[in-house]
Amino acid sequence: MVQLEVFLQTLVSGLLLGGLYALIGLGMTLIMGVMKIINLAHGELMMVAMYIAYWLFTLLGIDPYLAVFIASPALFILGVLIQKYLITPVIKVESILPENQVILTVGIGMVLASLATVFFKSDYRSTPVDYASVTWYLTDYWANSPIELSISLLWAVSFFFSIMITIAMWFFLSRTDIGKSIRATSQDSDAAILMGINVNRMRSLSFGLGAAIVAAAGCLFIPLYYLYPALGGQFTLIAFVITILGGLGSNVGAIIGGLVLGVFESMTSTYIGMGWAPVGRFSIFIAALIFLPGGIASLLHRRRFGK
Amino acid sequence: MRKTLSITFTFLFLVFSTMFVYAEDFNLTIPLPLTGTQAKFGDIQKRSYEIAQAEINAAGGIKGKKLVLTFEDSGAKPEIARGIVEKLIDVQKQPLIVGEYTSSCAKAVAAVSEERKTPYLVVVSGADDITQQNYKYVFRLNPPNAYYASGLIGFMKEVVKPKTIAILHESSDFGTSGADEMEKHAKALGMKVLMKEKYEKGAVDFKPILTKVKSMRPDVVYMVSYVMDAALLMRQIKELRLDAKLFAGGAAGFAIPEFVDNAKDASEYVVTSTLWSPQVKYAGAKAYADKYKRTYGDYPSYHGAAAYSALFVVKNALERAKTWKQDDIRDALKATKMQTAFGNVAFVDQNGYQNQNFLETLVLQVIKGNHETIWPKHTASAPYLYPIPRWKDRK
Repeated sequence: MVQLEVFLQTLVSGLLLGGLYALIGLGMTLIMGVMKIINLAHGELMMVAMYIAYWLFTLLGIDPYLAVFIASPALFILGVLIQKYLITPVIKVESILPENQVILTVGIGMVLASLATVFFKSDYRSTPVDYASVTWYLTDYWANSPIELSISLLWAVSFFFSIMITIAMWFFLSRTDIGKSIRATSQDSDAAILMGINVNRMRSLSFGLGAAIVAAAGCLFIPLYYLYPALGGQFTLIAFVITILGGLGSNVGAIIGGLVLGVFESMTSTYIGMGWAPVGRFSIFIAALIFLPGGIASLLHRRRFGK
Repeated sequence: MRKTLSITFTFLFLVFSTMFVYAEDFNLTIPLPLTGTQAKFGDIQKRSYEIAQAEINAAGGIKGKKLVLTFEDSGAKPEIARGIVEKLIDVQKQPLIVGEYTSSCAKAVAAVSEERKTPYLVVVSGADDITQQNYKYVFRLNPPNAYYASGLIGFMKEVVKPKTIAILHESSDFGTSGADEMEKHAKALGMKVLMKEKYEKGAVDFKPILTKVKSMRPDVVYMVSYVMDAALLMRQIKELRLDAKLFAGGAAGFAIPEFVDNAKDASEYVVTSTLWSPQVKYAGAKAYADKYKRTYGDYPSYHGAAAYSALFVVKNALERAKTWKQDDIRDALKATKMQTAFGNVAFVDQNGYQNQNFLETLVLQVIKGNHETIWPKHTASAPYLYPIPRWKDRK
């Protein structure tokens, strides 16, 4: 019975962690899908949003969850500006490196992290909200339960939001005109131009959206973690793994990829050792590259068309 | 004409005065992590070095020379720290090295210093083997990791009397050596070590591993972590209602005010060993802590106290050294016997360590949101609270 409890609690933790990972990975997936570049400044964009949420909380007492409505538009604008004034010009330049926009995003990330160190110092910061430790326990609802499971409010909220954002994204991309234009741009930009789509605007829009989503992720994330200028890197990596695992550019793939990664990491922590969790993360990444180059999206695709 | 003359004189005066000041300065460059994840602790130390510098210069400097500090950022990366120190010794001809923070960096610096026969004063790096390599030129102000927990061991032996222990530690040099030492001590006390697991610093979710700890029902949960990991660990322990007789932290993360700020009520009753607290009765400790708090708004951790005292150790050694050559400074350091805000300092060869300073370590407990010194009894600022209530019964 104890073993069952350990297993179930690990599974619950893994799913919640996966939801959070998916939330962080979704924005990168969108940018990857449309622009065919990996945005390696992704974690740093989240860091910027978290600083916005932090200062709103500290100076004005605004709840981090409400800060979404300020941080997301702000990051949308930042994303559009980055795309318009930094990435687009670089795409036009001929260079020996075919992927120089990707290298540019690394640079942008470094600049953001350094600026944060200069302006906000390297102190650890957090937003201690009152409901931070609200937790539901199985035994509180079912007193005779042989096992004890717990779900924390903060984690449940971030999980819920990642599902909601995925659904909203799916709806936006498949049912609205702008969404269809974005997809057209991602499938064949030359054809999209011929069809009268303003491809550059679509690219700016999708970079902005990607940034806005990761800003939302940052606001949901800050109450349950903490913040410092160098935080971006490790989450860029996680988003990267999810993007590859999910299948480049697939939203549904990203969320399943996130959940798979979360559960896999939690199981590794419990049954092998927590020090091995990062190893597990990258072995899954390599396995995905070798055995499932199209990611989870290719599996979904195969199912749907029977091939 | 007059104008030209006066300009010339001003110019000459400026040139000579800078030369004059230059000849009277003693330049000391200190490598520290000022960016990256360890920057927080680097900053505490930098501020404390600066407080000490101001005090030393106000009292006439070192043998009449003004002490001028500069800081170089190593970003907690051993290869960078090594590069900085090579430059300091080979190019700037600095006759002694002070500083660095993480054990991995201190090890790299120690190796360079020993090779170049330049004395190196380790200020707050814990890993045991830094002073176990028969180095002649490496001195350490803080006690090694193995001794960090000596106060805590005493508390456990006399008050808690636990039978089992689970150890969690971050996978760095500092975390691993702290955990290894606790394992040894625990076995010596007749405790059963149910689990000893490492984790990667900065992890988001500790619940899987804590679930496993919970299923083993240990008497003591001992954690060696830096501050934010420490706060997350306690918050998630509370979330899971993991009950134990004692939650104990090994120095660093659990001992600073940010731990309580971030873990909030989950930090209550947690005990931690530490090297120093603003409540200690060493001469100058309180004055330093108050000065730091006035300027930066918070009390410093032991990292700051060690850095502050390190400069006085350097001053003391330089004043006694025959010449300011590397070997003379080394001999002067070796003969150090003085009182600092960090405790009594003497570098001795003992129990397999060389040039090591040993100090009595303290136990703190979080009581009503404040760190109180509870052990050893003669330095206690509050009586300890034990046994601790179960999570379910709190509030």
